[in-house]
Amino acid sequence: MTTTKPTMIEFRDVHKYYGDYHALRGISATIRAGEFFSLLGPSGCGKTTLLRTIAGFEGIDTGVVLIDRKDMARVPANERPTNMVFQSYAIFPHMSVEENVGFGLRRDPRTKTEKQAAVEEALAMVGLKGFGKRAAHALSGGQRQRVALARALILKPKVLLLDEPLSALDKKMREHMQVELIKLQRQVGITFVLVTHDQEEALVMSDRIAVMFDGEIAQLADPETLYRRPNSKKVADFIGTMNFIPATVLGESGGRIEIEAKGLGRVELMAEQCPAGRGDAPMVGLRPETLTLLYPGQTSTERTVAGVIDEVIYFGDMTYYDVYLGGTDVEVRLSMRNVPGRLIMDVGTSVDVAWSPEALVLFR
Amino acid sequence: MKSPGLRAYAIGYLIFLYAPILLLPIFAFNDSKIIAFPLSGFTTQWFGEMWQDAQLWSALKNSMIISGTTAILATGLGIFAARASTRYTFPAKGGLIGLIMLPLVLPEMIVAMLLLVVFLAISVPLSIFTVILGHVLITTPFSVAILSSAFQSLDKSFEEAAYDLGEGPVSTFRLIILPLVMPGIISSLLICFTISLDEFIIAYFLSGSDTVLSAYIYGQFRFPAKVPAMLALGTILVLVSVMLLSIAEFFRRRGIAKTGGKDTGGFL
Ligand SMILES: Nc1ncnc2c1ncn2[C@@H]1O[C@H](COP(=O)(O)OP(=O)(O)OP(=O)(O)O)[C@@H](O)[C@H]1O
Ligand SMILES: [Mg+2]
Repeated sequence: MTTTKPTMIEFRDVHKYYGDYHALRGISATIRAGEFFSLLGPSGCGKTTLLRTIAGFEGIDTGVVLIDRKDMARVPANERPTNMVFQSYAIFPHMSVEENVGFGLRRDPRTKTEKQAAVEEALAMVGLKGFGKRAAHALSGGQRQRVALARALILKPKVLLLDEPLSALDKKMREHMQVELIKLQRQVGITFVLVTHDQEEALVMSDRIAVMFDGEIAQLADPETLYRRPNSKKVADFIGTMNFIPATVLGESGGRIEIEAKGLGRVELMAEQCPAGRGDAPMVGLRPETLTLLYPGQTSTERTVAGVIDEVIYFGDMTYYDVYLGGTDVEVRLSMRNVPGRLIMDVGTSVDVAWSPEALVLFR
Repeated sequence: MKSPGLRAYAIGYLIFLYAPILLLPIFAFNDSKIIAFPLSGFTTQWFGEMWQDAQLWSALKNSMIISGTTAILATGLGIFAARASTRYTFPAKGGLIGLIMLPLVLPEMIVAMLLLVVFLAISVPLSIFTVILGHVLITTPFSVAILSSAFQSLDKSFEEAAYDLGEGPVSTFRLIILPLVMPGIISSLLICFTISLDEFIIAYFLSGSDTVLSAYIYGQFRFPAKVPAMLALGTILVLVSVMLLSIAEFFRRRGIAKTGGKDTGGFL
């Protein structure tokens, strides 16, 4: 992650009300030039609203939105250096594919042949070479999405805004388009701001992610930090799966915190594993894949704890085990890759579970 | 449609509705001044008589001017009203739209009387022009109703996409909104035209010395000798209506095919 990239978009304490409803509650963040940035959060948290304040479709009540260091307060949507891919794609139904893609060039002083070449180029970029003459309605979902992309990118905006662009596609197509979008973003180097409620999508695609709840950004970080070091239980819960285990704090000294986690025993944590406290009952979080099931006779250099298998969930490539730890009522889920020769264990088997203190995060 | 009683009712209903229209051409070509069976022979004399009737031509011309102008004005107003009612919120919106729609439920006779009183009071001479004003008043609600549904079904993101791609409000309206609501506009034009052409009371009250077609036809029925010629005229009007509606339906279906929408049935 390069931190030297200049700022492209900056929010300074942005508030937005819909009538009495406080939709954006003090958003402050920066999006860097050339970055693939995602706004992630549950339905109704204000992702779309925030994206639309960048595009200029939604005014703000207080605060500042800057694009490329310019205050956008008085700049209407049609003069902003942004283009948008709408959730519904908004492909103009009465125009052909090339008319759609070339729509933004109407005010362009270039000649007709030059514009035609630009349209061809944009279509080629999204893999729709030769589709120009097609009627817009004679396209599949994935093709419509590509047309929407080409139409937005032909204007070479500073920022491309995407509101859940993949949610209308089936799973296979979605995964394919995720990769395509990443490639496209690297190729054009434009800042992408993506809205999604799919945490996996955000993790796969983004350089950095802002996790939003109820009109606020709960955490803004790169995918790895977000996944490994969520700053609150809420974020941890929203991103992937996490086991939460009750704990008590025994003492703090020199940047180290000693805790007693139920079923795991005493653990010493580094300061970076302990995000700022929020006054909640202390809990430690552990991702399923950081726990390893030890087969009979197997040993581990990590710490181990005895347990009993309570549930086995087979997923094809993975098996999830729910295990009671060390004779307590603490149940954790762990995941094991199904490699050849590795047996699926039975419910009720007593096993050892290996874990490492670095994988823990303390929420309190 | 399982019950035979219901089936008979439906068939009877259709006969009641359409049989008179079938009688129209039959008697228009019948070689007798008396409208009764048995038919006496074939003739095109009535069409010739109708063709020669100078008064008829002048009434027809007046009616065409009135209906054409009414359709255009009412649809124009309808576009603004429907756009405002579906896209913007403003104070007293419900009340204002209600006022526009009011003539829909007001008896035409009352509208005609009130307008007559007003025009006389402010001494506007009665003419084609006053009829147009009256007809715009009563047809605008139809236009608003038709166009509101057209504007309503328009996805807001089309407009936003056009803004986003650099267009202003006016060019967005012209390039995106107008073409997409065009089927609604054509429907509105046709329906306003038809209502205006049909309308009798307002046309009769407000036309002064300019005779319109509906009033002229009504007047001719007092002279039995003129009736067959009116049936000939009626036959032609039926033909023209069917043609117009077919054209409208053609455009509507083409619009749907073009936008790839689902056909939810037009007015035909
Ligand atoms: N035009 C509006 N008028 C009133 N309230 C609105 C309007 N648009 C959005 N809201 C409200 O603001 C909140 C945030 O809406 P927004 O569309 O930004 O959510 P979102 O995070 O994009 O959710 P989703 O994932 O469902 O699209 C919601 O509670 C919504 O009901
Ligand atoms: Mg949304």
